[in-house]
Amino acid sequence: MTSNGDGGELGGRQDLDGGPDLTPRTEAPHADDIRRQLRAGQRKWVASIVAVLIVVVGFIVVQFLRDATLFFRNVDEAIDQRDDLGDRRFRIQGRVIPTSVDSSSGVVTFELMHNCEVAGVRHLTDPPELFDNPWTPVVLEGRWEPGAIDLVSGEDTHVFVSDRMLIKHTNEYTSDFEARVEANLPADFFDGCDITRADVGLAG
Amino acid sequence: MQQAERKDSMTGSLATTTLGWASGASLIVVLVTGLITSPKDANQGEAVRLLYVHVPMIWIAYGSFIITAVYSGLFVAKAASRPDLGRHLDRVAGSAAEIGVVFTGLTLVSGALWGRITWGVYWQWDARLTTTVLMFVTYLGYLALRKLPADPYVRSRRAAIVALIATVNLPIVHYSVDWWRTLHQGASITVGNKPEYTNDILIALLFAVVAFTLVALWLGIHRYRVIRLEEIREEEGIEMAIAARRAEAEVGS
Repeated sequence: MTSNGDGGELGGRQDLDGGPDLTPRTEAPHADDIRRQLRAGQRKWVASIVAVLIVVVGFIVVQFLRDATLFFRNVDEAIDQRDDLGDRRFRIQGRVIPTSVDSSSGVVTFELMHNCEVAGVRHLTDPPELFDNPWTPVVLEGRWEPGAIDLVSGEDTHVFVSDRMLIKHTNEYTSDFEARVEANLPADFFDGCDITRADVGLAG
Repeated sequence: MQQAERKDSMTGSLATTTLGWASGASLIVVLVTGLITSPKDANQGEAVRLLYVHVPMIWIAYGSFIITAVYSGLFVAKAASRPDLGRHLDRVAGSAAEIGVVFTGLTLVSGALWGRITWGVYWQWDARLTTTVLMFVTYLGYLALRKLPADPYVRSRRAAIVALIATVNLPIVHYSVDWWRTLHQGASITVGNKPEYTNDILIALLFAVVAFTLVALWLGIHRYRVIRLEEIREEEGIEMAIAARRAEAEVGS
């Protein structure tokens, strides 16, 4: 056999006797070259995956900076910052006063309370199922709109109009259905408030 | 002879077989306690049963990533002076990270399902959810790095350093509900405080934690052994390829 591995003067990989050509296709490479060949394809895949992961991490960080650090304003803060907020869209958090819920007009209206402050809410979409739980904490997305309203805390000049409701359930789990109001309502919820438990239909 | 070869290529042993059966049996107990004997939650109703999956998943993920961090730290500190160049440490770190990633993924899925029922949405970019998905992606990156072609020692060292960096996110994930305002609830079990569960729910949760921990342990041990077999196969494959090429060269010369 005189082939040089490139076909050579035999014009291909055909043996003179017509048998199979057992000549090495290339010169035996160094061990490092073999390792390099074995890993070349793998490297491309890994580089692609790493690139995708970098894009995903970037997306997450952007989302985090935009949304996560101030996920919502509590009712008292939203009232305090009302002038600055103007008609900007934001999230507000508080507990729904059960006795204030009214859905007879096609939209759901209720009062939201946190840190002794109360906001009137007009919610335009269907609330999630757990909205029916008494004193459940909710996060609403919407904006302030001017409009006189009577609240348990007195009159107010603005209503929070929301079109998105998230239920912010508590970290308490109880099989005692009698105790679920207490599970949803911190013991010190009315401490320092002008509003009393009796004002919102609670005993003692 | 064949039996000995078969034994060398298997990842099971009497201990892991026993552990596997114990895991299976404990999962059956969890099915009973979680779906039948555990009562409904007064606020969330039947949705509380997701608690018995979601909470053990993230605890196991935390535990796995802590193991990865410890063994990665040991690798960085001691691998060079060990006879095996730290391969055992690297395998433990890698197998624990794989378990952590799987369980974090399950945490995200079970959390999304739970969120749809309770919050009303599958997903929200609040601090807990965002940092958890970041943890998931970071450790996916760690696992990708472990597959990067390189000298095994160099590759393991790089991976160990990335694992130690990724560890920074663990306390951020855990305390995100305290540090920022989140839609996600705060911790129900904290050191020094009474758990915020009634006993019937707490007991079912503890059963679930034990059962899923056994499953994770069983998976982790098998994964460690599979990684070891992969390393042997890779080394043998390279040796065989080199030998084959050399044989070709000798025939051709």
